[in-house]
Amino acid sequence: MTGNLKSLPQPGPSLTGAVMVIGGGISGMQSALDLANSGIKVYLVERSSSIGGKMAQLDKTFPTNDCSMCIVSPKLVEVGRHRDIELLTHSEVKGLSGEPGNFTAKVVRHARYVDVGTCTGCGLCELVCPVTHISTFPPQPEEGEKKKKLRAKVKETITGGGSPQPTSLYKWTFTVDESACSMCGGCFNACLQGAVKWEKKSVATIDQDKCTGCGACYVACPEKFKAITVSYAADLDKSIGAALYARSELLKKGFASKGQSDCLRCGLCVITCDKVMNIGALKMVETGIEAGVDICQVCGACVSMCPVGFLAIDKLTNKSVHLLENDFNEGLNGRKPINILYPQAVPRVPVIDEKSCVHLNTGACGTCATICGVGAIHYESREEEIEIEVGSVIFSPGIEVFDARIRGEFGYGYYKNVVTSIEFERLLSASGPTSGTVARPGDNKHPKKIAWIQCVGSRDHSCDRDYCSSVCCMYATKEAFIAREHDSSIEPTIFYIDMRSFGKNFDDYVERAKEHKVRFVRAMVSRIFEDPVTGDLELRYVDAAGLKRIEQFDMVVLSVGVQVPQAVKDLAGTLDIELDKYGFAVTDGYTPLATSRPGVFVSGAVNGPKDIPETVCEASGAAEAASAALAGARGNLIRVEELPQEQVFSDDDELRIGVFICHCGTNIASVVDVEAVMEYAKTLPGVVYAEHPLYTCSQDSQERMRSIIKEHRLNRVVTSACSPTTHEPLFQSTLRQAGLNKYYFDMANIRDQCSWVHPDDPVAATEKSKRLTRMAVANATAGKPLEELEFSVDSRLLIVGGGVAGMTAALEAAKQGFGVYLVEREPILGGHLRNLQRGPDGRKFTTFIDELVEEVLVDERIRIFTSSEVVEQAGFVGAFETDIVMPSGATRTLKHGAILIATGAEENRPEIYGLGSLETVITQTDFEQALEGGGGAGWENLQVTMLQCAGSRDKEYLPYCSRVCCNHAVKNSLHLKEMFPHARVDVLYRDMRCYGLGEIDYRLARQAGVNFIRFDPGENPPKIRATEEGIEITITDPSVGFPVELQPDLLVLSTGMRPRDTEDLASMLRVPRNDAGFFIEAHAKLRPVDLPSEGLFMAGTAHGPKSSSEAIVQAQAAVARAVTLLSQEKLQMSGVVSTVDPTHCAVCLTCVRACPYGVPFINDQHSAEINPALCQGCGICVAECPAKAIHLGRFGDRNIRAKIEAYSVMQS
Amino acid sequence: MLPCTGRIDEALLLAAFENGADGVMVIGCLEGDCHYISGNIRARARVERVYKILEQIKIGPDRIRMYNLSAGEGERFASYANAFVDQVRNLGPSPINLVRSTNAQSAVQTAVQGEAT
Repeated sequence: MTGNLKSLPQPGPSLTGAVMVIGGGISGMQSALDLANSGIKVYLVERSSSIGGKMAQLDKTFPTNDCSMCIVSPKLVEVGRHRDIELLTHSEVKGLSGEPGNFTAKVVRHARYVDVGTCTGCGLCELVCPVTHISTFPPQPEEGEKKKKLRAKVKETITGGGSPQPTSLYKWTFTVDESACSMCGGCFNACLQGAVKWEKKSVATIDQDKCTGCGACYVACPEKFKAITVSYAADLDKSIGAALYARSELLKKGFASKGQSDCLRCGLCVITCDKVMNIGALKMVETGIEAGVDICQVCGACVSMCPVGFLAIDKLTNKSVHLLENDFNEGLNGRKPINILYPQAVPRVPVIDEKSCVHLNTGACGTCATICGVGAIHYESREEEIEIEVGSVIFSPGIEVFDARIRGEFGYGYYKNVVTSIEFERLLSASGPTSGTVARPGDNKHPKKIAWIQCVGSRDHSCDRDYCSSVCCMYATKEAFIAREHDSSIEPTIFYIDMRSFGKNFDDYVERAKEHKVRFVRAMVSRIFEDPVTGDLELRYVDAAGLKRIEQFDMVVLSVGVQVPQAVKDLAGTLDIELDKYGFAVTDGYTPLATSRPGVFVSGAVNGPKDIPETVCEASGAAEAASAALAGARGNLIRVEELPQEQVFSDDDELRIGVFICHCGTNIASVVDVEAVMEYAKTLPGVVYAEHPLYTCSQDSQERMRSIIKEHRLNRVVTSACSPTTHEPLFQSTLRQAGLNKYYFDMANIRDQCSWVHPDDPVAATEKSKRLTRMAVANATAGKPLEELEFSVDSRLLIVGGGVAGMTAALEAAKQGFGVYLVEREPILGGHLRNLQRGPDGRKFTTFIDELVEEVLVDERIRIFTSSEVVEQAGFVGAFETDIVMPSGATRTLKHGAILIATGAEENRPEIYGLGSLETVITQTDFEQALEGGGGAGWENLQVTMLQCAGSRDKEYLPYCSRVCCNHAVKNSLHLKEMFPHARVDVLYRDMRCYGLGEIDYRLARQAGVNFIRFDPGENPPKIRATEEGIEITITDPSVGFPVELQPDLLVLSTGMRPRDTEDLASMLRVPRNDAGFFIEAHAKLRPVDLPSEGLFMAGTAHGPKSSSEAIVQAQAAVARAVTLLSQEKLQMSGVVSTVDPTHCAVCLTCVRACPYGVPFINDQHSAEINPALCQGCGICVAECPAKAIHLGRFGDRNIRAKIEAYSVMQS
Repeated sequence: MLPCTGRIDEALLLAAFENGADGVMVIGCLEGDCHYISGNIRARARVERVYKILEQIKIGPDRIRMYNLSAGEGERFASYANAFVDQVRNLGPSPINLVRSTNAQSAVQTAVQGEAT
């Protein structure tokens, strides 16, 4: 063993250092980030208009009840802002040619009609768009033909409870243009107020005193004369549509609290229909509104204009009415043809729906383009096809939910109060259609009794969904749990077959749900009947005792399974990827992320149903797999930003602050008087420049900000705009580009905190904006430049544990071009998998392991230390030093940049039922081994009883579910039946947790005659007596209802998995483990292979029980995560870290005790010291330090006091 | 806005009162769900200490309160803020403000001192 390893860069032929990721859900986003952060250019192609996928639709996530949007939106922002990720939304892949390393992908970019580069996402277009329904457009004239005015033949008059109450509030002024008037008298006949004076052969005039401004005359004046003109109408300079919207909004506010429901005769509906939509189906009459029901195009514009809700669309037309459904909210509410997918969408840019947009279909309307302040709307956009060169492809298009209409017995689609689980997620979501109020769609009543029905479109052979969807048991539990959190009077009941809470901490979650009064009933519901009067639902089922039950509920949620959409199947065909009969990608158990086409990798639920953490693992793993072959081209296609030198200022330099008060279109400016705030800002000390841009964040405003910084020699910048969470990084990078340290910046959020929360009090909102701006200016004044230190990264990886996960990781890291130290405690490599026999596809594990060992041994980038243990560890991310003791007893120090823990697990062997003392009592692993050896004498008629959860899910032994045992038992049963068809197998189980595609083997086992008997350790435990004489088991079989006696020849126990002893290692690395001894990930959902400390990762069963394929995926994922660090030459630390002033430090150790990350230590100068590379920047030590000797960059006492003091300065 | 409520200390909370706040809300992550593991628990202890100090110096302890919210709970935040403002409004201006200002301000000033991450 000579010297330390050097990383060997791979000499690359002409590989393309780019990867195309198909699908922008959590899977695609994670892959994109891991790739782009390790020097690979990414093209992220997403079908819909914004990324986010299914996860963005969820309310909370199990088992931590984290808010889904809160944890996914930082990822959205990161993807959106990453300079090496090119987002191709509203786009589809149409072809892939070439070879691995050099593919050419054909991508169709559908016409979005909104320019992503210019749009600022203000959302005004969506507000002004009057269309709410799917229109039936009138036939369009042929080329050259003149458009004919529609004439209604069928007319209905809409009348209210009372007669119209004409209003002249915010009235427009109509006048007759004498030169254009044809003297026809149309206006005279139309006016209901007697305000038009006209006689035959004379020009009409309007008596402004009598006129209420309804515009009847304006509509009646023939199009060819246009003799009536409008004036004094806000926004008329933009378009008539914009003006109508403006008046409508004013009237809506004006009448909001008046309870008015009679027609106001404001004329907005009539003008909209005629002048905006070119239909002219409406007319004002004495008693109300006359509608030409046969020519109405059902766009809904008139209804959305009406300030008092006088009109209802179904009364105005004789055609069928279809609301334009909001797909993101699962059709529970409506949307506009121009639509931003959801408020936090990335890109936050709308797309115009070609099917429902009036302008794109008839040429009318066009209001959105006139209102857009940045000119981002382009109706002339057309679909375009582009070609992109990439080296690999990741296929992660995601799944859809099962169409519950197929299970007709539940009445979905007919019974309004039967919803799907994804619809229920939207009902729970604070940003959903009901703002998080649980209301049933039928009548908005708050439901009390809610039932969840499991396995709708899962585990169901009748509708070709034989597989288990893996996530429904948990999401239903979560939904029930959260529903009760929203409204504690809700009584949730979950009807299920098996409770498949097989993941890490899932069983605890279900137990907690039970404590929170979620009722679980093991029963399959056969039918639902609706009471047509009340909308309540009657459920029929057979309970555990075999009795028929009828129970009433207010609402039913169908736990719909997942399935591969047809479009994805078609896409797989285009890409030439093999799918199974259900549409899931076909992969090999040992290369679980490689599709049938070399160079194309798969990740996420399209690779079999799975939850978010498993998806994230696969996404990182696929990123690793996709980039391993491209390692030689790493860095070739990424962009490096060149920045000017930072200017240095001294404390004596004059303070020159620039303040930008943002309109945010009308988001802020419609409430806050931005000009007044700007004028006020100019009076603040140090402010030398202030302005109020329409959109501070738009591309041109950012360029302008850079030039203003230079021109006015600014040394501080403040923006009063939106949320710093989304926009601060943008402004900070603009500062940096202009040569200012990015911490010479502060931001006041006057949108969320002023205009959005105080829309009804513009004066107070303006005052609050001034105050927040003043505080931000004070904080910027107190701002100090912070240094973001750089340090070089050792590119080698230390892997602890040489099982399947550790070896896979070692090989993959080596392929990526990095040196690896692989440390294994045992004398040989291979780990627990050596004790197992065959994978699900029937191939022998030992062959696989031997091949893996061989590959690891010959790879010169991997240095192996067997019979060695880690004894000491120091350093930090990028520069670790670890001491290991080798078999010779010698200690050796390894230097490396990251650590991967793959210490694995082993079979649990508790001394129960005579295991260890009786030959007739063995574990599943022993049994598998015996089968592999051909069985024993007399096995032709062997009687076997398998006991599941033997010492698992049991507080005395292993409290958790080991996830693999049910599948293991099924595999062994099938193997036995195959070898000896006359052998008998009884499986005693609590819940058969054959998740995902494992369900198919479970079904095969039942078909093969394996007998499954359910027990409950509390109510119906099996009585087992195992002695030298034999084994006797008594158990009540719930399917028949009476006790069954078994006298098997063999009792096979499914004992579960327990982690290896890692107590010392964990304390050395300062990483947490759970009570069971498995390592705790940095985030249960989104960082499943990261440990909480920077630079530490884990893979395999050290994380929790899992199958070999899942361990391989995690190993690849952990390597991808590590490579994001190892591929950097230098790492940059955050400037916002704590530093100790040694002259004030009293060495009291308070900070050492207070730091949740154990970072502060006492150095040899007798002072506390904080390593900036390890500091997380929370500031806890700063607050705790009794001597006030610790300072947190940007959040020092100086900054906070500056803000507090600025708060109180009263102004007049 | 702070990185964590764990950053705030008693002196800063009292400084807010010195500088004219009639009430102070401290809003951290849900307990057990702190972004920085234990910051909100420490903040709670500090707020409790300030509560006692305000009681001793007769400014009134009900002018300070710690709340725990997740970032997705906008509506709950609004209801907490409204309830707290009402509570402080009932207490009237802080004695510090009454003494300081001859023409006592009638408006209730509330400073929001922390924000969940």
